[in-house]
Amino acid sequence: MILNVAKIICAEQWRYWMRTKVAATVLLLGAMLTIAALVVNAFHVDEAAHTRDHLQTEAEQRFEAQPDKHPHRMVHYGHYVFRAPTPLSVIEPGVDTYTGNAIFLEGHRQNSAMFAEQRQSAGLTRFSSLTPSFLALVLAPLFIILIGYGSVSREREAGTLTLLLSQGTTRWQLLLGKLLALMTASSLFLLPLLLACLYVAFSNESALVVILFCLSYVVYFLLWATVVTACSAIFEKSSVSFTVLVVIWMSACVLLPRLGSSVATNIAPSIGKVEADFKVEEKLRSLGDGHDVNDPAFKKLKEDLLAKYNVDSVDDLPVNFRGIVAQYSEGRQAKVLNEFAETRMTEELDQAQIARQFGWLSPTVAVRSISTILAGTSLETHHRFLREAETLRLEFVQALNKVHAEKLDYKLDMNRNASEEAADKAVVGADNWAILAEFDFKPEAGSTRISNALIYFIQLLLWMGLTALLLQAAVRRLNP
Amino acid sequence: MMRYSDIKREAGFVFGHRQIKLTLLVVFLLSSMSLWSGYSEMQEQQATIERLLDKDETERNAVLTHQSNYGMVAYYAFHLTYAPPSPLAFAAVGERDVFPWKHRIRMLALEGQIYESDTDNPELAFLGRFDFAFVTSVLLPLFIILLLYDLKAKEREARRFDLLNVTARNSHAIWSSRVLVTLVPLALVTLIPFIAFSVVNGASVFQTVTVCTIVIGSIIVWSAIVLAIGAAKRFANFSATHLASIMLGVWLVTTVIVPVTGHTIINASVDTPEGGDIVLTQREAVNSAWDKPVEQTWEAFIETHPQWADKTDFDPQRDSSFNWKWYYAFQQVGDQSAKELSEAYQAATLRKDKIASYVALLSPSLLTQRLLTSAADTDVKAMVNYENNVREFHASLRKFYYHHLFEAPEFSSASFKQLPQFSPKIRKTQENTNED
Repeated sequence: MILNVAKIICAEQWRYWMRTKVAATVLLLGAMLTIAALVVNAFHVDEAAHTRDHLQTEAEQRFEAQPDKHPHRMVHYGHYVFRAPTPLSVIEPGVDTYTGNAIFLEGHRQNSAMFAEQRQSAGLTRFSSLTPSFLALVLAPLFIILIGYGSVSREREAGTLTLLLSQGTTRWQLLLGKLLALMTASSLFLLPLLLACLYVAFSNESALVVILFCLSYVVYFLLWATVVTACSAIFEKSSVSFTVLVVIWMSACVLLPRLGSSVATNIAPSIGKVEADFKVEEKLRSLGDGHDVNDPAFKKLKEDLLAKYNVDSVDDLPVNFRGIVAQYSEGRQAKVLNEFAETRMTEELDQAQIARQFGWLSPTVAVRSISTILAGTSLETHHRFLREAETLRLEFVQALNKVHAEKLDYKLDMNRNASEEAADKAVVGADNWAILAEFDFKPEAGSTRISNALIYFIQLLLWMGLTALLLQAAVRRLNP
Repeated sequence: MMRYSDIKREAGFVFGHRQIKLTLLVVFLLSSMSLWSGYSEMQEQQATIERLLDKDETERNAVLTHQSNYGMVAYYAFHLTYAPPSPLAFAAVGERDVFPWKHRIRMLALEGQIYESDTDNPELAFLGRFDFAFVTSVLLPLFIILLLYDLKAKEREARRFDLLNVTARNSHAIWSSRVLVTLVPLALVTLIPFIAFSVVNGASVFQTVTVCTIVIGSIIVWSAIVLAIGAAKRFANFSATHLASIMLGVWLVTTVIVPVTGHTIINASVDTPEGGDIVLTQREAVNSAWDKPVEQTWEAFIETHPQWADKTDFDPQRDSSFNWKWYYAFQQVGDQSAKELSEAYQAATLRKDKIASYVALLSPSLLTQRLLTSAADTDVKAMVNYENNVREFHASLRKFYYHHLFEAPEFSSASFKQLPQFSPKIRKTQENTNED
């Protein structure tokens, strides 16, 4: 019964929207924008996926096609890894355009990611971007406000509210009907997005992640539709409800997310990589130069090795001592590098989490956190990329050092700078380069992403509770 | 003709309105907050640069005392380069959170170093900065719409409209003075905090006036848009909120849709080399040099450095075991092989920026933002300039070391007194940052 009446009210509201041009324009514009954003983004992501995949294969092939060389030269030749976009980045590209997507991996160093796309955008997309998530999180609420601010107050101003209520329509029925109308209208923006999600779900993305991703957007739209309907009922005049709603939109969608970012930068400033590098170098210097076997830092290593093989000089060792030193020092160095890298990532994550606390003040921030984390385009996933790249780096560098220790004669190696012929002898065969593990970056497992996003789901739940209360208050206060 | 008495009456009226007073207070707070946030961020950047300069010098001196030939020093000595925030950067952080503003570089191939980025936390950059440029280009228009959309409608609804028109000496003057007494305080609450901060930060009067002009210009443009929509005959029988929806639509189209459409079109139409290709090319060239006959490297090197043609010989006695000249020559050749790509990449960045400046003519918000970042020297151009400063500095390093490697004087630490020092180029302020 309650639903039947609500349906009638909803249909009535739709008839009104269709009559007035503004609502129809807004709806059409919104739907067109969403579809355009999806198409443009889908092409872009598809192209990026292909390019990066191609570059990745090419980098691997080039590495393996290198001629006979001294193995340490391959350590410096290095390797590239590229980060492929995740399926859901079609809807939420997140930090992807702000981080680089390629890293050069080489011995002794951890490089940062290069070529952030954002640098090529000439500042055009600093406020807005043609991404489905921006449209859904920032613009759609404004559209909902534009079509819905007067849904109840209009009836009041026209005097039809009294009529409706006196004919036996309850206040709940009335508001639910209006809410239903607003929800169906906003589904014009939401539907393309959900369809795109459905499409993504058929690719290799966890179904639960896709469902929660969709659900958070649906809830977000529902929140706004409820707030708009409630405000329209609470305020006597359309103009007041309009002003209040626009102010709410400005604070929640435009102001607070940025405020969060600025507050985080100022509360927890992190030292940049250049500055951290000084500290890394200081610490590394105490570990010894892995190129120099006579560095005092390797004395103990030498003694242990001589004792182990029971020989008197490094010349008699069955392994190449230079390779052993390279292996040993690379391992120790990587530990230091990782220690600092982890500190830096923790700092970055702390900053991001400060910014995300603004989700308690704005549902937009909450859903944005959920959306980036679930889509695998959040800072966490970027860090995962950095970590995996580092694992690969250490793996291939150590594999080369192992080749150095086991396949290259120590005397030939020590003699390599004497002449060009000597240099030509101090090499190992190209067949040793087939050591690269294939790099195929995948975001965290669905369950990890969901648990990372858990607190932001709680933020969203809080907002659901608050808007439900608001709706209730609106029902109670609804007076003709 | 507006009279003082009209203005006085309207001022009394406007300031009697709680909503207007509240709006002005909010704008004042937002403006101050954004300025404070930009200010403290720039202070932090300045402090970082000072700390880095200090460490950089210590580190390099340590290298100089430990090494005993030029090749080794060139390999181990890093040099800090940086772009200090301009005195106005606190008002418009601009591209400083995406482009790097500090690099440590050395004599190795530059193309392998210059794309390293030590930029900010990507998630914070993604959320965007809450700076003065954002407040004035994105939020201020919204406040103008909120303040002005129901200028006349409010009076109609209060049934004072006719009364006002009749009692005023000139019915036109009353609305003009009402607009004026609303907008002037709005401009003041926005700009007074800015002026205070720019005095504290030592910005020149010219720079301060430039920014004020840009902001006032933007207020005028937006008010004109709002008032034109309000007065348009087509919309004569629209309700106030209906009109406001149209105004918001204009804001939406110019602030959001024009830039993103421009971005999509620019990206599709300007060919940009894949960044990865630059570094791959450079690395291939540098690493394959080890396997190639030495002459090939020299040939390519001498082409650009004919003055060293007779000095490429390798003296095993002197250079002990390793020919540094050849080593740095193939680093140079590596850069040369990637030169075309790298120049095309930069040219594409600048071309996109150029087209974006035309797109900005269709969007007052974008124009304001671009003018402010340009005045604050935080726009794409400024960041590319910094990159070119680094390139110049690297070239001067090469000049210094080539001289010492090829002429091969005895190693002396005194010679490092001539070692080039990076000094940031501060742009002269007299450039065209005229307002819209």
